[in-house]
Amino acid sequence: METGRKIIHIDCDCFYAAVEMRDRPELRDVPLAIGGRADQRGVISTCNYVARRYGIHSAMPTSRALRLCPTLTLLPHSFERYRDASRRVHAIFKGYTAHIQPLSLDEAYLDVSDSAHCKGSATLIAAEIRDRIRQEVGITASAGIAPNKLLAKIASDWNKPDGQFVIRPQDVADFMPELAIAKLWGIGRVTAERLARHGLVSCGDAQTWPLQRLVAEFGNLGASLYRQCRGIDERPVHNDGVRKSLSVETTYVEDLPDLPACAAALAPLYDDLVARLTGHDGELMPHKAVVKIKYRDFTQTTIECVCREPRGDVYQALLERAWPRGAKPVRLLGVGVRFADLPAPQGDSLPLW
Amino acid sequence: MQLLQAERDALLKPLATVTGIVERRHTLPILSNVLIQKSGDMLTCTGTDLEIQIAATQSEGFSGSDFAITVSAKKFSDILRAIPDKSVVTLEENESRLTVKAGKSRFALQTLPAGDFPTLSVDTSLKATVRMAQGQLKALLGRVQYAMAHQDIRYYLNGLFLVTEGNLLKLVATDGHRLGFASTELPTSFDKNEVILPRKTILELYKLLQDVDDEVTIDIASNQVKFSFGNVVIHSKVVDGKFPDYNRVIPQNNDKLLSIERTLLLAALQRAAILSNEKFRGVRVVLTDGVIKILCNNNEQEEAQEEVEVAYTGAPLDIGFNIQYLLDVLTNSQVENLNFAFGDVNSSVLVTIPDNEHFKYIVMPMRI
Repeated sequence: METGRKIIHIDCDCFYAAVEMRDRPELRDVPLAIGGRADQRGVISTCNYVARRYGIHSAMPTSRALRLCPTLTLLPHSFERYRDASRRVHAIFKGYTAHIQPLSLDEAYLDVSDSAHCKGSATLIAAEIRDRIRQEVGITASAGIAPNKLLAKIASDWNKPDGQFVIRPQDVADFMPELAIAKLWGIGRVTAERLARHGLVSCGDAQTWPLQRLVAEFGNLGASLYRQCRGIDERPVHNDGVRKSLSVETTYVEDLPDLPACAAALAPLYDDLVARLTGHDGELMPHKAVVKIKYRDFTQTTIECVCREPRGDVYQALLERAWPRGAKPVRLLGVGVRFADLPAPQGDSLPLW
Repeated sequence: MQLLQAERDALLKPLATVTGIVERRHTLPILSNVLIQKSGDMLTCTGTDLEIQIAATQSEGFSGSDFAITVSAKKFSDILRAIPDKSVVTLEENESRLTVKAGKSRFALQTLPAGDFPTLSVDTSLKATVRMAQGQLKALLGRVQYAMAHQDIRYYLNGLFLVTEGNLLKLVATDGHRLGFASTELPTSFDKNEVILPRKTILELYKLLQDVDDEVTIDIASNQVKFSFGNVVIHSKVVDGKFPDYNRVIPQNNDKLLSIERTLLLAALQRAAILSNEKFRGVRVVLTDGVIKILCNNNEQEEAQEEVEVAYTGAPLDIGFNIQYLLDVLTNSQVENLNFAFGDVNSSVLVTIPDNEHFKYIVMPMRI
């Protein structure tokens, strides 16, 4: 059972847009989005709250966003500035705990169970961190404070933007029944629809099902659901986020009409992957090669095989096997590797070199 | 059309030699296949994973016309293994299927065109040809191959460093924490050549070499090494990379010296290992006057203690090791006594064979 952990989930509000608005205050009150251009089939990465009122959200195709809001100001990504802001946010976290699990540039879990700051109050720590982010980085962040990662993440969304929400251990039993099941970890749109067909819409609905029934109906998901709908989540905050995979993908300005065109497009993509693999610093061994294909009609397929040394011909072979599944023009290709679990530690023998 | 008729073993022998390296599931389906070629009275089986290629030949006075075909290595060898030995096997080809008949059994297997089978292009930039007895190379490999890294991110450690220098052939293997070195004198002298052979090549070579005086030929080219012995030819690519400087880690000034009967120490360590931590495999080695003490304990606070009498009069030492690293050298050195030269608690130990310059094993300690 939960043993009195204090977890904070911090999420910067519309991070890329916030950085842009900080640097160009005149953009604060106009609909603003960061993303790829519509004529290049771009999608929206982030938009500010003004733009959200038009119904724009992240991952929406830019062309659609522009139809919803013709006056939208669209900016390209400038990752250098985002990374700089992210580093400064992260530096603030480090002042409070060493147990930090970054989820992306703008989002992280902090385990402050053993933190002596603010007399050990996680609520005060979160408020202080948000305050410092506002003053030192010039953007706002929201926070969720709870006894575990699942609840902390749900809580950070509760008073967004620029707010925070606390779920105390004694509140969990009252809080869960009303919560929509779709808010839980691992429940996407499709799964949520499937659960709804069984009458499972809120966590309260799921709490009425015994474990055996959930497992019989939904397998591993059911077991996870049984715990999650009661607000139980024992996943630790990993401060050494081990990368599980690395991939690169491109959406093509024009569809690739056939397999030879895809095969030709694969080579530069593969070169990108190799460059990123050589650049990354982890002590990780590739274990699987993956190819992803998204067809013109947005259906997609992925294929992977075990392979220790991802070579170009492996990806070509995977592509040749996967493309016929749709046998349609292709708008996006991706190639990647999954990494093997780290080998068993060799004890702490000292290195020879 | 009938391709061949032969006794089971005449087919199984060359097949079994090459199937070890054939991956069962591969993105290129033909790589799961074995190439079977008949030329004159010789039958050759070839398997490859694009890094290594092994060909095994059988001359059994095969009759009939020449052919070449590829078929699933696993299925074909499973079939041959499952039928009674001494059975006469008939191979027939019908519309790109291979039919295997033996007694009342009959199997039809898919084939792929022999022309599509990828064979390694032979590197012709030959730099040295080393000849020695098969048994000699096998013994040499046996002394060091266990020290190779396995799936290390430093990919050049996942293999064996082979060096010719003057009249010496040197083999070096290391996983970064321990290192094995073995050398042997050659009848002729060579320029300095250095190659790293992939781990898989070494394991396969070690398996296939026989403990006999028949010759093995090692042809070292820039990007490829070829081993020929008996009916077997192995072509292996070399690992592109820089092997670390092994000379630098051989300790020169270790002053705590002792000689110990190998089997005595091995047995003591094997007993102590029963209670070593499964994950970290730590062992404490305590040297005092006349006694070497071995201490292991596990997570459950259970303890093992062993004592072995030794002729030792130097300063005392209390040092930790990964017990597997010690067991490895004791298991794989077929000699009566081994010399240990310890330094301080943070320095490596050097293990050698008395009056033998040709073997060195170095282990770094672990902090316990």
